[in-house]
Amino acid sequence: MAQIDLSRISVREGNELIRKYGEAGENVEVLNPDARHHIGVGLTAPITVKVRGSAGYFCAGLTDGARFEIDNNVGWGLGDNIYKGTVVVGGNAGAIAGVAIRGAEIIVKGNMGSRSGQVMKAGTLLCCGNANFMAGYMMYGGRIIILGDSGERVGEDMSAGDIYVAGKVQSLGSDAQLIDLPGEELDDILAFLDKHKIPFNGTFQKVANAGTKLRYGTAEPQMRSLPFFSFSGKSDYWNSKVQEDIHIKSQIGRYRIRGYGGARPLPHMTDLAFRKPIRPDLADAEIAKKVNLYTEIGGIHGAQPLKLSMPVMVAPMSYGALSASTKRAIGLASTLSGIAENTGEGGMSDAQRNAAKQLIFQCLGGRLGWNIHDMKRADGLEIYISQGAKPGLGGQLMAKKVTPQLAKIRGIPSGIDLRSPSRHPDILGADDLVIKVEEFREATGYKLPVSVKLGAGRVRDDIKIATKDGFDFVELDGMQGSTGAGAAEVLEYVGIPTLAAIIEAIEALEEIHARDKIQLVLMGGLRDGIDAVKAMCLGADAVAFGTATIVAGGCIACMQCHIGQCVTGIATQDPEHEKRYKPDIESRNIHRFFESVRWQMAAITNALGYDDVRKLSRDDLVALTPEAAAITGLPYEPEHRDETDAIAIKAS
Amino acid sequence: MCGIAGIMFKKTGDGRNTSTGQALIDMLDGCQHRGPDSTGFALYGDTHQGHLKLRFFVGSGDEADKAIARIKDVLSANSASIDDEETIGNNYRVVVTFSGDLQKLAYELEHAAKVISIGSSLEIIKDVGTAHDVDHTYHVQNFTGTHGLGHVRLATESDVKPEAAHPFWATGFADIAIVHNGQITNYWKMRRRLEQRGFEFNTDNDSELIAVYLADKLSQGIALEDALKTSIDDLDGTFSFLVSTKDEIGYAKDRLAVKPMVMYETDDMIAIASEEVSLNKLFPGKALNTTEPAPGTYRTWHR
Repeated sequence: MAQIDLSRISVREGNELIRKYGEAGENVEVLNPDARHHIGVGLTAPITVKVRGSAGYFCAGLTDGARFEIDNNVGWGLGDNIYKGTVVVGGNAGAIAGVAIRGAEIIVKGNMGSRSGQVMKAGTLLCCGNANFMAGYMMYGGRIIILGDSGERVGEDMSAGDIYVAGKVQSLGSDAQLIDLPGEELDDILAFLDKHKIPFNGTFQKVANAGTKLRYGTAEPQMRSLPFFSFSGKSDYWNSKVQEDIHIKSQIGRYRIRGYGGARPLPHMTDLAFRKPIRPDLADAEIAKKVNLYTEIGGIHGAQPLKLSMPVMVAPMSYGALSASTKRAIGLASTLSGIAENTGEGGMSDAQRNAAKQLIFQCLGGRLGWNIHDMKRADGLEIYISQGAKPGLGGQLMAKKVTPQLAKIRGIPSGIDLRSPSRHPDILGADDLVIKVEEFREATGYKLPVSVKLGAGRVRDDIKIATKDGFDFVELDGMQGSTGAGAAEVLEYVGIPTLAAIIEAIEALEEIHARDKIQLVLMGGLRDGIDAVKAMCLGADAVAFGTATIVAGGCIACMQCHIGQCVTGIATQDPEHEKRYKPDIESRNIHRFFESVRWQMAAITNALGYDDVRKLSRDDLVALTPEAAAITGLPYEPEHRDETDAIAIKAS
Repeated sequence: MCGIAGIMFKKTGDGRNTSTGQALIDMLDGCQHRGPDSTGFALYGDTHQGHLKLRFFVGSGDEADKAIARIKDVLSANSASIDDEETIGNNYRVVVTFSGDLQKLAYELEHAAKVISIGSSLEIIKDVGTAHDVDHTYHVQNFTGTHGLGHVRLATESDVKPEAAHPFWATGFADIAIVHNGQITNYWKMRRRLEQRGFEFNTDNDSELIAVYLADKLSQGIALEDALKTSIDDLDGTFSFLVSTKDEIGYAKDRLAVKPMVMYETDDMIAIASEEVSLNKLFPGKALNTTEPAPGTYRTWHR
């Protein structure tokens, strides 16, 4: 057995050695762990790791197939997201033991902290002592066995899975109930205890989901075909949009859920113009070659950056909200145009991975589809905190779209109205977040950029935290961003406009003298290369297109993404609908749209007198409205309006 | 957005361990990842009858000279005679003999300069940088005493300034300090109530409120343990905090247990920290039998 002494080497060096021993099939003994974090993170070889003392946060996290034996205590997040494998802890475990596990066997001989087994998908978490409050919080599957007392609110908002308590059930969580324990399940538990040599005499009470909150009481009715253009149009006070809104609420008796973006007019890039009259050379097909658009994103702290042929990415959109065919088409288009694609919530499919040359893998609070193997084959890792369309809230995927196939990749029961958690189990503040970022870096050998997706809310504070927590870049999403499903009121009224978001972000970074410490990718209702150039002028390092990408690929903006019966085959999981979507054709359409963005960015940059997109600055802009001037601090010069309209028409 | 640490050596008399400064440096070094911006210490040394130790941020050069002159004016007007004084880092430290109304003196000094701490036993040392940076400037490791608190801070909403660092002194009350991890959401409501009763606040930091809240209770003759008990109901938000007085150290933890806390107790000492890794810094290579305080609990230890 090989030995690693953490009093002599760092955890990072130790983990590299553990992985090397793993490849050689040699077991490892870790000496002097002294409660250090991230021990064994990212190990995917079937060896045994013995930790001679206490371990810190995320011990054995993001691993597959290994066996960990920890002599003493562990900190928060024991066995985070383990795929398969065994972990035995001799002492106590901190909060969220077994968080998001996907099939491990975890044995804690002592007590467990609060929220153990949060968002777990499969596997067994055994606690031989007492659990603290909310064991099984939002669990989607698997089982928790507690030989002592349950703690308060056991099974809070669990969707599925089983919790067995041998001691006292102190109180039940929301949507949890006590049910009879079937004899064969007791036999299974006793066999499990026997296998791990845990002496036990007694019986159990079983806690399971009560089924009152898995579906909305009323389904979301399909709307009349009222496309975005009339929905958001300038009609009278009691217009068709308002009437439809009232009609639907009179049927469902709650807030409405719909797809697409907000329809309220807000100050945006269209309220800005270029300061000097520009005349792009429309005949010059080669203009993109005269301007340097090549951009690297994510290499600021030494990771391998994303290499973008222009400062453009695809915004995060999930397989789930979108069909597999659509994700494939977007992936192909991103490869053709030399930019990066993003998985969004809900996991990475082979088709997606194969289609996109550069793919960012997104991690959300529900850890749906999150796993070490896809992390390792990603080109970037992203922690989603929130999004512009619904800042502070989790995702929604209505039951119609939660098909068995989709449920499998996400690790959840099929056919539920999936309301993803709005918070991460292990990110409750900037101090925890820094430990989480480090876990991802450890798991992937510090090779991949780690970014954060932020919906614009308290931008000033959030950007500072993102910088201090060591992210490589931020994807900053303003309130004009769209979604596959969100509460209508939130889409329209919650958040900060994209324009204000980028201004606040840049100011925040200047306040802490850190503009060179992080990169900013702006998104949220950006529609073309003109918007992109304006975003770059205001200080963004790159932009991302979401809605524009799917519109380029056939979306008709009917706003029924949440229903799951998308006539274009984009926002659906129904094979009958999806078969209408032709990824090979649509990928070319999306690619051509990206190329039009390239042409616009190059032509405008060139016409402004620069040979490099990084030379753009806010001095190139003016504001056309008093609101935009107040938000941006740019000079209010409405006389530029005619000029702008002319360019927009010609260039687009 | 931070890490906290506290230690008390319980044994008295000859042979007792009093290496509080060094112990806190080690513990904070262990959790510096939780807060790289600034580091602070609350240290309790020997008490001499009638003496007060005062520490101020005075900056440097001309600015410092002016601040020190203003401080001396207030001290003289309040019949506080200077026994010892020194300038170290951006601090002015002065020991005075004083027997008047401490709160009045403290508020007048607040208006003259930036007070860091006042106490017969307590001295707070805090500045931007790591535990080792602050030790380098202020020689924290030389401090001996029975107990103390420490804090590392990641500045989020306020600037990276020495005065925004923890620990916080309970403005106007001698010898009370706190370190806090979390956020008090009913800060303004609680602060207004205390202000209406004549208390003054030195900063807009929610952690200062906890110190003043507890000091107010103590000054009414309420035991620290009882004050901690009511704090769990009266304070809204997320918190794990440590408090210290001349002879006591204590903790309180909110019911949501959002902010971590681990403790290790022997016959000789009690050590509490955000993470076990800090406790292990005191006992390298040992597997410690630690406990995690339950949500919504509090406790105190006397020396």
